[in-house]
Amino acid sequence: MSLFNSLIPSFGRVVAGSANGHSPDTGPSVKPAYEVKETDEAFGLTVYLPGVSKDGLDITAESDQLRIAGRRAWKQPEGWTALYRESPAVPFELVLNHDNAIQLEKIHAELRDGVLRLSIPKSEAIKPRKIAVN
Amino acid sequence: MRLVRFANSNARSLSPAFGYSSRSPWTGLEDQIDQLFDSALSGFVTGSSRTQFPVDLYEDKENTYVRAELPGISRDDVSVEMIEGYLTITAVRKETAGDGEESVSFSRSISIPEDVHSDKVAAAYQDGVLTVTLPKREEVKPKKINIQVK
Repeated sequence: MSLFNSLIPSFGRVVAGSANGHSPDTGPSVKPAYEVKETDEAFGLTVYLPGVSKDGLDITAESDQLRIAGRRAWKQPEGWTALYRESPAVPFELVLNHDNAIQLEKIHAELRDGVLRLSIPKSEAIKPRKIAVN
Repeated sequence: MRLVRFANSNARSLSPAFGYSSRSPWTGLEDQIDQLFDSALSGFVTGSSRTQFPVDLYEDKENTYVRAELPGISRDDVSVEMIEGYLTITAVRKETAGDGEESVSFSRSISIPEDVHSDKVAAAYQDGVLTVTLPKREEVKPKKINIQVK
């Protein structure tokens, strides 16, 4: 995929890593919609997790992977019959691989109305730097 | 030709979603092709898949319920209307991106199977899910009718 990214820069939406949605042992899950935006200072990750509240949310940041798992809190009440379902009843899982050019300790996360916003500061080494010319 | 985005792409994946300790040879290829389509199509697809959101329809004896997944909407930006047996949910998601403001609008009309008390419809929004409760009309609630057989 990095070949594609270099040939067609607009496809390089995930700049710091690629997205792979398979972890071997957590059962069925669905990948949520997400967006990655980049500024000079940080990456902004927005993940859409409808029906997930803070208790059901699990964010794990490792040196090569960022894993977001969300469990939907809602249980269908007794007496309700489902007539038509479009949303899957499985938990969300998003795994993003990265190349560790970020400051894991300074990740800031906020969950509101089913939207998780993560602000991931870049490590100093990859921030763009101005070079003065003599 | 129109490309339809399925809500559950796991169902037709060539690599099983669970119970698999090593990656299937199709996994990486599928992911890359998914990403390719996502980034290529996000500019072209207007209407259906960008402005649709999943809805679930439930009922019990008293009410019909509609649950819509609408993360990131503020309560002022969502409107629920009941017209002629159709429930229309319209929502606008506003994002402040740096200096500009982007907005995406969603709209969906669902036909409601039973007669409802339009004036008693209630809606609640929590954690990104909008739940609309539509009380059924008296005549439609199941009632036992005894029929005499002559």
